[in-house]
Amino acid sequence: MTARIITLQYRKIIDVNAIKQWDKLVFEDSFVEFKMQAQNFNRGTPFSSYAELIRNIPHAERLTGLVTPSITGYVQQLDSIVPDILNNIGRRFLKFNQFKFELINSDMNDKSKHQVGINFYSNLIWHETVGNYLLVSNYHHGPDAQLKPQDNELLTHLFQLQPYLNICAIKNSI
Amino acid sequence: MERKNFLRSLIIGTVSTSVLVDSCKKDTDAITATGSSTTTSSSTTASSSSSSSGSSTCSVIETETEGPFPSKTPASYVRSDITDGRTGYKLTAKFTINNSNNSCNPLSGALVDIWHCDAEGNYSEYGGTSMQSTNYTSVHFLRGRQTTDANGLVTFTSIFPGWYQSRATHIHVHIYNAAGTSLKVTQVCFPEGTGSALLAVNGYKKGMTGYTYNAQDSVFSDDSAGLELATVTGNTTDGFVLSITMSIPA
Repeated sequence: MTARIITLQYRKIIDVNAIKQWDKLVFEDSFVEFKMQAQNFNRGTPFSSYAELIRNIPHAERLTGLVTPSITGYVQQLDSIVPDILNNIGRRFLKFNQFKFELINSDMNDKSKHQVGINFYSNLIWHETVGNYLLVSNYHHGPDAQLKPQDNELLTHLFQLQPYLNICAIKNSI
Repeated sequence: MERKNFLRSLIIGTVSTSVLVDSCKKDTDAITATGSSTTTSSSTTASSSSSSSGSSTCSVIETETEGPFPSKTPASYVRSDITDGRTGYKLTAKFTINNSNNSCNPLSGALVDIWHCDAEGNYSEYGGTSMQSTNYTSVHFLRGRQTTDANGLVTFTSIFPGWYQSRATHIHVHIYNAAGTSLKVTQVCFPEGTGSALLAVNGYKKGMTGYTYNAQDSVFSDDSAGLELATVTGNTTDGFVLSITMSIPA
């Protein structure tokens, strides 16, 4: 099979059931920020939920961008390694260079309804499919970033596709 | 651990919390079993193989050295220098908040959010939902948040704002209590006329043709008492200092 370059997307959902410390911090801080920012939009209206706001208030979709700075510090703490997703020897291995925060649901008067997603994007070379596993290596930009063909050895990872993981872009390698 | 004991421990965990069962079942529906756990019952399979969803209550912990440990980090709005490389004349903005429900004594511990446009009249953060690079190129320039001190004071370093059509030069201010509940949303305007900072800046490259002065501004025209009017001193060489005291009921 020809190696292809894929963009792997992990959509990490965080809600009131979060148990990991990082997830809890993101949950708490993004909720407080949502509550603060939503008060710029809902004045004079009875709307308190994110769904009501984006349905009824012009420009309320800006809330996503306005809430994002509440979690960038936590994304930074990950040091470019995607959380949760493990290779077949139980280690985190995915490097990400871009992320996208999303508000899924929320209500400024009801924290239990707050639910957010953080999408992590990783560029990988997909070499083979072994059983249920993908054999991949990190894809780096730049002319000398990849090993030359005669080196014929590349560090790879074996991992399984799982819920909330998506291949969101693909191209043939050069 | 013996495999038998391992399975038993999973079953005990499953029985004791029905929430866990539900959440694990969801994963079971969607995931293919892996490795050594393929022969176990469905709920234990999921609990030993799933590592996917952050909302799952049965994510397998990474087999790694502990850490790094996440620490509480304030929103990146929390800073006093909000310039982010935007060019313009330096502006030091001092807001003093007092409590009209408490003999106008200083209100400490309040969160003060400010935002204003750049020299060209553009705001940050209106892009919305695009992907962000992890090198955090500034996406919220000229926005910041500080907590008032014992004197009710917060100080920001920024640039003198530009202007855009149909509005006088202004700074948005949103004051919250420590829990994030809104106490006041308002705007601050700038003195006009001979010798004013506004005329010294002269609208940057835009000039002042077509400018909306405070008396015609939709927000400030009814502020006959001048409560929203800041004091601005300084010059284009040394920069400007804006000061205003605001009374709010808290």
